[in-house]
This record gives sequence, C-alpha cells and structure tokens, in this order.
Amino acid sequence: MTRGRGTGRRWLLVALVALALTAGPPLARAVPTRPVDIDAGTLLGRVQAAEDRPWSGLVETTGTLALPDADQFSDVAALFGGSTRMRVWWRDADHWRVDQLSTSGEQDLVRTGDRTVRWDYERLQARFGEEPSVRLPRAADLLPTELAARMLRGAGPDDVTRLPARRVADRTAPGLRLVPASPRTTIDHVDVWADADTGLPLRVEVYDASGRFLTSEAVDVDLATPSEARVSFTTPPGAGVERDDVLDIADAANQYAPLIAPQRAGGLEADGSNGAVGVYGTGPEQVVAIPLRDREADALRDQLGVTPGARQGATGTRVTVGPLGVLLTGAEGEGGLLVAGTVTPPTLHAVARDVIAGYQYVGVPQ
Amino acid sequence: MIRVELVSLLRSRRTWATIALVDALPVIVAVLLAVTDLGPRPGTGPAFLSAVLTDGTLYPLAALAIVLPLFLPIAVAVFAGEAIAGEAQQGTLRYLLLRPVGRTHLLIAKLVGVMAFVVLTVLVVAATAYLLGIGLLGHQSVTASAPGTASVSGTSLSTPELVARTFAALGYAMLCMLGVASVALFASTLVRSPLAAAMGALALLVGSTLLLTLDAADPLKPYLLTRYWLAFVDLFRDPILWHDLVRGVLLQLGYVVVFLGAAWANFATKDISD
Amino acid sequence: MKVIRTEGLTKRFGRITAVDGVGLDVREGDVFGFLGANGSGKTTTVRMLLGLVLPTSGTVEVLGEPMPARRASVLPQVGALVEGPAAPPHLSGRRHLALLDAAGPGSRRTGRAGRVDDALEQVGLGGVDRRPVRTYSLGMRQRLGLAAALMRRPRLLVLDEPTNGLDPAGIQEIRRLLLDLNAAGTTVLVSSHLLSEIERTCTRVGVLHAGRLVLQDDLASVCGPTGLLVVDTPDPHLAARLLVGRVEAVDGERLLVRDQDAASVNAALVGAGVPVRSLHAQRRSLEDVVLDATSRQAIA
Ligand SMILES: Nc1ncnc2c1ncn2[C@@H]1O[C@H](COP(=O)(O)OP(=O)(O)OP(=O)(O)O)[C@@H](O)[C@H]1O
Ligand SMILES: [Mg+2]
Repeated sequence: MTRGRGTGRRWLLVALVALALTAGPPLARAVPTRPVDIDAGTLLGRVQAAEDRPWSGLVETTGTLALPDADQFSDVAALFGGSTRMRVWWRDADHWRVDQLSTSGEQDLVRTGDRTVRWDYERLQARFGEEPSVRLPRAADLLPTELAARMLRGAGPDDVTRLPARRVADRTAPGLRLVPASPRTTIDHVDVWADADTGLPLRVEVYDASGRFLTSEAVDVDLATPSEARVSFTTPPGAGVERDDVLDIADAANQYAPLIAPQRAGGLEADGSNGAVGVYGTGPEQVVAIPLRDREADALRDQLGVTPGARQGATGTRVTVGPLGVLLTGAEGEGGLLVAGTVTPPTLHAVARDVIAGYQYVGVPQ
Repeated sequence: MIRVELVSLLRSRRTWATIALVDALPVIVAVLLAVTDLGPRPGTGPAFLSAVLTDGTLYPLAALAIVLPLFLPIAVAVFAGEAIAGEAQQGTLRYLLLRPVGRTHLLIAKLVGVMAFVVLTVLVVAATAYLLGIGLLGHQSVTASAPGTASVSGTSLSTPELVARTFAALGYAMLCMLGVASVALFASTLVRSPLAAAMGALALLVGSTLLLTLDAADPLKPYLLTRYWLAFVDLFRDPILWHDLVRGVLLQLGYVVVFLGAAWANFATKDISD
Repeated sequence: MKVIRTEGLTKRFGRITAVDGVGLDVREGDVFGFLGANGSGKTTTVRMLLGLVLPTSGTVEVLGEPMPARRASVLPQVGALVEGPAAPPHLSGRRHLALLDAAGPGSRRTGRAGRVDDALEQVGLGGVDRRPVRTYSLGMRQRLGLAAALMRRPRLLVLDEPTNGLDPAGIQEIRRLLLDLNAAGTTVLVSSHLLSEIERTCTRVGVLHAGRLVLQDDLASVCGPTGLLVVDTPDPHLAARLLVGRVEAVDGERLLVRDQDAASVNAALVGAGVPVRSLHAQRRSLEDVVLDATSRQAIA
C-alpha cells in the first residue's frame, strides 16, 4: 500500500460526490419538459382566460432599472431596481394577500373587496385603507400573473409567437412572445411562460431595446384555491393600527387636486380613471399623468436634474431610464405635471401637452 | 474519543471564555436598547431587534441574528481549525493515533466536539438573551388582552407555538455552523498552523458574505456557505416558509459531506511527521 | 517469533531518501538498540513501524501482523515514545494519562486511576501533584511520555531516544526499568545516540547510516573478543623481543599480542623478568563497531 494510489482514489471519490452535489440540482431542473403542442393563439387565449385564477406560491422578481430615488417614489425605485420576494395567496382579483419578504421582516398587503390592509412587521403596524382607483406601482403588480395580464391586455393572436417550453416551478411552461406593434411604446418585447395545463403565467421577462430589465418568476406554485382565512387579516396583539386616507402621491393627487384629466391624450385612450390623474393606454404602452404641488414637484425636479442623462427642455425636465420615460413640466415653484410611462419621448410630450390643455377645473373639495 | 472530546471541551477554560465573549455582544445590545429605548430603523438592523422593544421574549431571536453572521462562525472556525493542526502542533496527534484512535474516527470526534461547542454557545446566548429580554426589555405580551405574540406575517402566535419555533430557530442556527466547521476541519488537516486553518475557513466565510451582495454572483449564490443563514426568520412567518429553510439544511449537509470527505481523503493516509 | 520484521522498507520525502531498503529483524525478548547519526532515518523508520508514516515501498510486520493495515489490533499491544513526549500543557500529568487512556478503544473506566498511578510510579513520577504539564521540567516530561507508553502493559515498547533530558540517576533508573520489563517478557526497541547506554542494555543492535541498515547483529558477537591481548608494561621493548612474531602493534607502553592464552603469555613475560601492569583480552567497543560499519559503508 503506497500513499499515492489510495489517496488518489479517495480524492477522486470526494470530487465525484462534490460534482454530483453541485451539478445535481441544476441538472434536475434541466430535465426536459414534456412536449407541448399548442399554437401561440391558443396559448394566448388560455393565458388570458386564466386571469385571476386562484393560486398560491412564492415569487421572485428582479429589476435592473436605476430610477431616481426621490422621496415619494423610493418604493417604486426599489421595486424596479432590485430583487423582491413575495408570497402570494390569490383567490380572485378582490381577495388576495401578497407578503413582500425581507431578511428582517415583511410588508404585507391583504386585499378584501375594495379594502386593503398593509402590515409592516418592523413597525409592528397595520394600516387599513381603501383600494384607490389610481396609485403608484406596488410589489403585487410584479407578480407574473399580474404582469402578464397587464402586458397581454388587448393583444391578439397575431401579436404573439411561440417560444420553447421551459421548466418553471417544476412545471412545464410553454412560452409566448409578445412584440408590440405600436410605435409609441419603448418595450421591445415581453416573454411569458405559462403553465401548460392551466395557462397560469409562471414567468415573465420584459425587454427594452437594450435587453431584459424586469423578470418575475413563481419559484413555487400551488394551484389549489387558498382558504378564506389565508387572505384575511386580524391585527395581532401588540400591533399599532392606523387608517390611511391616501395611499400614495398618485392617490392623493387624484383625490385632492381640483382637476379632471381628459379622456384622451397623445393619441391614447384613458384607462378608466376619472380624477385628476390620467392613466392612458393599455398593454405595453401605458403612461400616467400626475399633477404635483410645488413642494413635491420641486423635490422631484431636483432629483431628476441630477439623474444622468437628464434633459432640460422648454416643456420641463425629462429623464429616460431604460424603457421608462419621465417628464416633469414647469419650473421651480410652479408645481408641475409628472408624466411617466413606457412610451417614447414624443408620446410623453404629446401626453403632457394634451393633458394640460384638456384639464377641467372643478371646485376645491373641503 | 467522542466522550473524551466532549469532556475536554466542557472542562476547558477556553471554551467558556469564548462563549462569554460571544455572549457579550447581545448583552451589550440589550443594555443599550433598554437604556435608550431606540430601535433600529425598519429595514436596517438585525431581524427582530425592533420587535424586542415591545416584546422581550423575542430577544433570544434577535441575539441569534446578532451573533450568527460573524461572532459565532469566527469562534467555530477557530475551534475547528485547531482540531487537527492544534493536536499536531502540540505533538499529541501522534500519541492519539498510536493509542490507537482511528483517523476517520478522530475527524468525526472533532466535528462532534465543535458542534457540541456550537450547541452550548447557542443555548447560553439564547438563555441569557431570554433573561435579559424579560428583565430589561418590553414584556407587553403578558399584559395584552389577547395573549400571544405577533408573527412576522402579522398573525398571532400562542406562547407554546412561539417557544417551539424559537427552539426550531436555535436548532437551525446550530445546523448552519456545520458548514464552517467542516471547512475549518478540512483546512486543519491540510496545514500545520491552527491559525492558518481558521483563516482559511474565515476567508470562505467572508468571501461568501461578500459574493451574496453581488448581482453578478447570482449563479453561485445557492452554493454559498452563508446563503440561507438568516432563513431562521422564515420560521416566524405564517405559515412557515420552508423554501429556504430546507435548502439551508441541505446546503449545510452538502458542505459536511464534501469537506468532511475531503478531510478524510487527505488525512486517512497523511504522513504524521510533526 | 518475529516481533518486528521489515523488508525493503523505503521512504522518500520528495527527493530525499530518508530510509532506504531497510530489513529490520527484532525477535521476541530482544532489547534492540537502534543506532545511527543525526538524520540517518531512525525516527522515520520508527514512524513507519507504527503506521504514522506510510512507506514509499517495502513491507512492515509488527507482532506478526502487517502494518499499517492491522494497526487497530497491533497498536493496543505497543507502547511508544516517538521523538519526544507530548501532552496538553494545561492538563496535569495524571489527567492527561487518564484522558489518553479513555480516548482509545476498549478502555474500561474501572481501574483507570490505578493504572495511571502504576505507570507514574514506574517512571518515578509517583509523587507528582496536580500541577499542569506546562510547569514540568524536561526530564519530568520525558518520564510522563514513558508512563504513557507503559500504561497498557505493552508486549512491545518502541522508544525513540527515551533518555533524552534525563539526569544520570534517571538514565540508570530507566535502564533498570527497561531491563525489568524485558525480563518480564517485553520486547524493546530503543533508539539512542548514547552508545554506552545501548551497550549496557541491548542484546541486539542495528546501525543505520544515511537511511541504510549497515549492521544488524547480536551485541555479543559484534562486541566479542578480537583474539588479541592487550599488555601494559613499563618495558615494552623487552616484552616485544620476548613475544617476537606475535606482536601486532606497539603503542607506547601498550602492546597488542596475537594470542588467545593470557595465562601463558603472562607466565612467559613474568618469567623473563618483564613487569606486567595489566594484561587482558581485547574486546571491540560498540563505538568502534559503529564507526567501522559506517565508514566501510562510506567507502563502498
Ligand atoms: N516530513 C519530512 N519531510 C522531509 N524530510 C524529512 C521528513 N522527516 C524526516 N525527513 C528527513 O529524513 C531524514 C531522516 O530523518 P529522521 O528524523 O528519521 O532522522 P533520525 O535518525 O531520527 O535523526 P536524529 O538522530 O537527529 O533524531 C533526514 O534527512 C530528514 O531531513
Ligand atoms: Mg530522531
């Protein structure tokens, strides 16, 4: 028995075990999916029909946009510029719960009818409120189901093509690519992989001209309907309770600005809003116009001004971050109109012009 | 050999000095919190640290979150790094092997010894933290109309549930040290100096912690030693989120298999010439 | 029965060949003296016998079983001291021995304290108190190491430089201990630089030179009479004339005479009126043997 041979054999064994352990899980995930024979139009129909289908699971999203981190918008910046993990229990559009996880706590959103509860563990606080008609994007909007529904709204069989199936959340998921026909949008294409059996979107990737900027994937999925108790909220012992009259700056502007936004702007139809905030367009081309007061507009204008690539023009300050265009009209001390969306700069300017021109002034509410 | 290892561990003054050192940090934090009543801003400090101001029974968990990322693994790396290299340096390794203690048996006994140290440390930290928590910090849950504690998900946990989950978290934290211990043990069979062995394991620890903050390292993350350490928080969500916990346990076991295997491959026929 | 047998035992550390084709042969009841200059490979050989270092080639059999394959059954019957004693500095000697005993297989708790005390008594550490090993003197550590080797009443003792650091009285004490143990049936292999010690205790010797075993024989035969007589006389010239033809060498007042019969030589000298101060048969010293063997090797 010499040292060389025995040692070599043992090292080989250890190396093989190490290899099996490291390569095993990726290989298991790469197990070929079962063949799916379905054309793009049928799949699109199935995905659209599965909107609001009950499910529960764990979702991970990754965004790569470096949005300006202005006070009122920092949550949105974090959402599109980093990773988010969410637990989801979804009964239907009005009864669901989405827990946004962090290493030291949770920020949960429980929706029951048109009421919502926001639970913040680290503040030990439950905030009750009403679901507003207009609001800023929130974590729950990035669920693959929500994202796919938003992006595919209005799409027809001719807008989509098939992508090879892949394995998502241990399920076979045939893919669908949407290439928007509209010249106004900055979104290049959207890829959606949906459960072969139910059409539930499991993974969504959104691309602009320079590449992927948003990914949302369900890493664990359960297709059973979650129980009623799962999507309800009872304030736990020791927690503070608050009532929210306004959810965020968009909600506030919508409720309190003495204006009504026009029904059309920049060639886009309003998306069902009838307050001061206008939301225009559907699917990949969506843009929002929010009237801001002096203080908020000035803070945002300062922040936009120091963002790389900011342009100062006659209408205001414009910034482009990936596919997102942001335009703030007016100058210091004048307030301003914030127009933001996944549309090209000309559309952005056109929307701003049309909204300002089309505002109806109403009496200041008490 | 395992029994001897445990007896030596318990009787060693160094063991208790190290435990006292690890325990000191949560004690200082508890005193500071009690004096200033200033919790960390949400999204900053260690998990549960803001919650202990209202509910002191959670302080063992906060203490765990305080010592787990750095203090405990450093102590483990030092202890495990010493396992073989320390005996060799002291000259006692050859006499143990001549006794005879089987080489594989010796490796396992040393790993068991290090893990016993981990169990001891975690229990001591949790016990002192519990006493400090109910002595110095808030104990609102006792007086609240509905007895119980808020889970991370905003549901109510009964006291038995909280106790069970706390012990599960302690157990998980102990398991998390298996990886560091195995790596340091392997390094200890590789180099002559116990310090070098500990440094080797610490390098991996620091590297892993650093890579976790890097987006470019995404494909590596599921394999990083420290990836799932803080997942014990998931035990306090409702329902318990098993996703990371399961992966965390499997990852640590993987580290044990690979690095204990490597230690064995290297040590089983190594020339003992110290 | 062979207690230690090696064949073609070779160990290379990189380019250094520390031990080169050694064929040791230690029989039951031997006190085997293992000699060699610094760096000649004694410790390396001992480590290979005990399975601490694996041979590059060659075989080892200890107590009739192959090593290191059967170390689990061989080593419990072997007591060893390899390159100095070692103990955790913070433990007392007594505690160290008890822990070492408990660490191995098949150690019963009952009687352990007694065994520890016996072993300490044997090496003259009977009165040792609870001070930690850190405070021990060099000689005390050496004795503690010996005690550890003796703890389980081994059939074979392998001692690498056991008298290192001992005072003359201690050396004598250990020599007596080894001889007593040997008389009681223990085979002993002891390596040392102290040739006089080996000469006094050993029955067989092996000499290593640069990793090769250049001599292995009974002490009695290598250190036997040379067939010459040494005559010490104040009148060497007269004596030389008387013993003409038989004188091998004259060195001052000493003559070397080729003759076996001391009595007749004495009678002849005294009869012729040559004063004789002393007259004895010449024996080879171990030192001569070792130097001779190693220099022959160096020439060859
Ligand atoms: N681990 C090792 N690595 C490299 N070389 C070694 C090692 N151990 C021993 N050697 C070399 O092997 C040779 C024999 O060493 P060994 O310790 O066996 O000699 P020794 O006869 O015991 O000497 P001494 O009388 O000084 O104790 C020396 O040249 C030494 O340098
Ligand atoms: Mg030596």
